[in-house]
Amino acid sequence: MFDWLRRGASTTAKSVASKEDDDLFGDDFQARLEYLAIVARRIYSGRMRAERRSKKTGSGIEFADHREYSPGDDFRYLDWSVYGRTGRLLLRLFEEEEDLSVYVLIDCSRSMQFGKPKKFDYARRIAAGLAYVALANLDRVSMASFADAVTGRLAPTRGKNRIFKVFEFLRNIEPEGRTGIADAMKTFVAQNKRRGVAILISDFYDPAGFEAGINTLRYHKFETYVIQVFDPVEVRPALHGDVQLVDNETGEAREITVTPRILERYAAAHASYRKQIEDFCAKKQVTYFSIETSTPFDDAILRILRRGGMLG
Amino acid sequence: MEFTALSLTQVLTVLGAFGAGVVVFYLLKLRRRQVPVPFVRLWEQILAEKQSTRLFSQIKRLLSLLIALLFVALVAFALGDPRTKGAHDAGRSLVVLVDASTSMQATDMRPTRLERAFEETRRIIDGLGPSDRMLIAQMDATTTPVSPMTDDTRVLRESLTHVAPTDLTTNFARALRFALDVLRDKERAEIIVVSDGHLPEARDEEGLVSARGAKLSYVAIGRHHRNVSISAFSVRRYPLDKSRSEVLVELLNSSTDPEAIELTLLGDGQPIDVQRLQLAAGERTSRFFENISGADRTLEARITLADGKHDDLPADDRAFARLPERRRARVMSVSEGNRYIEAALLLDEYLDVTEVSPAEYPAPGHFDVVIFDGFVPPSPPTTSAVYLNPLPPTGVQGPLEVLGVIERPFFEQIDRRHPLVRWTALRDVNIASALQVRLAPGDRPVAGDSRGPLLVAGTRSGKKFVALTFDVRRSDLPLRPAWPLLLLNSIDWFVSEDAAYLSSYMVGETWHVGVPAGHATATLQAPDGTSREVPVVDGRAVCGGTRAGFYHVRTGTEDELIAVNLDANAESDITPVPRLTVQGQAAGHFTPGTIGVRREIWIYLVIAALLLMAIEWFSYHRRWTV
Repeated sequence: MFDWLRRGASTTAKSVASKEDDDLFGDDFQARLEYLAIVARRIYSGRMRAERRSKKTGSGIEFADHREYSPGDDFRYLDWSVYGRTGRLLLRLFEEEEDLSVYVLIDCSRSMQFGKPKKFDYARRIAAGLAYVALANLDRVSMASFADAVTGRLAPTRGKNRIFKVFEFLRNIEPEGRTGIADAMKTFVAQNKRRGVAILISDFYDPAGFEAGINTLRYHKFETYVIQVFDPVEVRPALHGDVQLVDNETGEAREITVTPRILERYAAAHASYRKQIEDFCAKKQVTYFSIETSTPFDDAILRILRRGGMLG
Repeated sequence: MEFTALSLTQVLTVLGAFGAGVVVFYLLKLRRRQVPVPFVRLWEQILAEKQSTRLFSQIKRLLSLLIALLFVALVAFALGDPRTKGAHDAGRSLVVLVDASTSMQATDMRPTRLERAFEETRRIIDGLGPSDRMLIAQMDATTTPVSPMTDDTRVLRESLTHVAPTDLTTNFARALRFALDVLRDKERAEIIVVSDGHLPEARDEEGLVSARGAKLSYVAIGRHHRNVSISAFSVRRYPLDKSRSEVLVELLNSSTDPEAIELTLLGDGQPIDVQRLQLAAGERTSRFFENISGADRTLEARITLADGKHDDLPADDRAFARLPERRRARVMSVSEGNRYIEAALLLDEYLDVTEVSPAEYPAPGHFDVVIFDGFVPPSPPTTSAVYLNPLPPTGVQGPLEVLGVIERPFFEQIDRRHPLVRWTALRDVNIASALQVRLAPGDRPVAGDSRGPLLVAGTRSGKKFVALTFDVRRSDLPLRPAWPLLLLNSIDWFVSEDAAYLSSYMVGETWHVGVPAGHATATLQAPDGTSREVPVVDGRAVCGGTRAGFYHVRTGTEDELIAVNLDANAESDITPVPRLTVQGQAAGHFTPGTIGVRREIWIYLVIAALLLMAIEWFSYHRRWTV
């Protein structure tokens, strides 16, 4: 299905794809991406491509709002009719029509190594899926990986045939380091002045808390989507007896005797943590998704598209 | 408390070594398995709640260690085989004589006295002290040990299954001798007699047997004594009509109350006569059954109480007899004509008689007996023969050498023990004259005059012969009952058919049963169907049994049926005896040792250890312990 794309793809993408052992982004995966792109188009049918407007006001032709004139503003945008009626100097603002920038931020801390399949692999597939839908929609897609800092970055790109760049980027990142969403997001916003949609994919196991990172994106006018991935085994681990729990990021150790009762309480604590993130996001008008790795990734993407309205 | 397998030091060494191992393993167990988790902070909330239970957790850990150490301690002490101090006291040596004689089959104590004796013996086993040792023996006509001298109560209990009831009379002297032999040189020896006390005087060929030297205890068994027994059972065939028999049954009521009974006679298993009779208390009475016919092989007498029930001892309510099978004897009479011989032979319907003249002799065919009337064949016959007036012609040698003639002889000397003259009266028989003969070595003058024998029995060429040295027609013998008897006795003597008293064998005795030649062993099948091989000595199977009834003695295809009866006179009185006295020594009661406590403490320790393991396993999986 992607043969025509492959033919047009760069030799670099071909070589990377050929040397990749795993089947993370194999033919089957690519076929499902194409399916997703078609379904996404149906969901948002009637809209023209590249019609997505940014919320940035600027030099467009469609009126957006008024604001008080300040010295230095362009006189050409003064609304003289308003001045005639009210005597106030108001500046006319127009929506700036520009390509939508979609930033996919993927957590590659060590905690993402857990699960079967690994949360990291699952997150990469989700990221690739969303990126493909966006590319198919002619949006500008940029990728970034982070742990306690931004560890990798894919420059903004556009067009469906650029998906292999995305694959290459995702293949080359490794789960490493501790989670530090706040610091990573500070770096991200500093590096990306162009506002747009920020899709944050993580398990949000941040000892410093998840709130600061999300707020950083919000404060910098990014339309933020939070996707929390977790493995069912994380919720109810197959543990019993005396064990020493070691945090694989921080190395912190805790001794505990695991009993069925303890496991129930841990599951409740995990659910409470997820609820905490969800409540925070709802409060801050941030769209939140909680996805188990047992959910087929295409179902998860369709759910995101339907509920989130982030694309199209 | 003392240790018999390992010393206390060794036990403590084992305990220390394994205890140290347990502690080491316990400490290793404290090093927990490391499990990586993605976000340990999530567990901290639970851990914070668990802080309050840390003390309880530590107690649980300590409990686990204590359980493990306790397990090691139990096993270590079990290895030491600890015993109470009493276990080292000199124990008693006991011989329990369990009476298995006929009277112990009485049902006055359900199911039988013998079963009650087993129960009492089990109580004695349960009452053994820590160091007591016991041997159990079955006491009847012989004394048979059924267990070794042991302190293993399991073996002793199991040995009781080898005690079986018998129809024998107790030989108490033999049992006492056995017990004293077993207990010789044993400290604290004790003989316990478990019986209904109906024991004969303890006397044997060496005199009275005393139980001195051992403590004598007695466990009395029995409650009632209602019993009527067949004390004698005798059958004989009529000499002149062997198809019919005469039966004598003697009954004894040993109860203290009169009893109405029903006496049934069975021929070949089928009832042929029934009588009802009343017996006073202690009465002994006889009943005759005359002209009994319809039985070819077996006769059996049975008694029941008039109400159809059995008395307390059913074993002596039956008696058995065997009737030998009748077979026809083939007789050839060589005579010029003698109606006396013909008439006498007609009396026995089981004779096939062929009459020939001397000129026709020998007649074709096989014969069992040949009767020569005044005729001596030129060559000796190949069968048994009766010679009447055996005067040989010139040149012929007869069975007896004739020396001359005796005028008017009489039967003055008669060998009454000889079967030829059984039931005969010959004293006043008048004879005109008789041959004076010389007897050959081995010949036996059964009856005769002082001048010479008149009736001779002997053997010629391996065949028996009987010779009457006179012409019966010149005497008044044919006119007397003795004549046919004499002739038929001769034939019976030849064919070995005893028409007289047909009795049975007795239990407890050695039976010698004639079997066909050429066999070294025979198979004896008891009334209960069990079989065993018995030796054959001098043509007779040597065997014995402990139960009354019909036995089969088999050799090849031959099957000899024999009847065996018990000695009812000795066992019919089943009155229980509450006290036992032997040679003035009154038997006491058995004193139990420490009842209900096993002497092997190690068993309890091992059980406790296993129980502890089960608790640990259960609590571990319940997370009560760690």
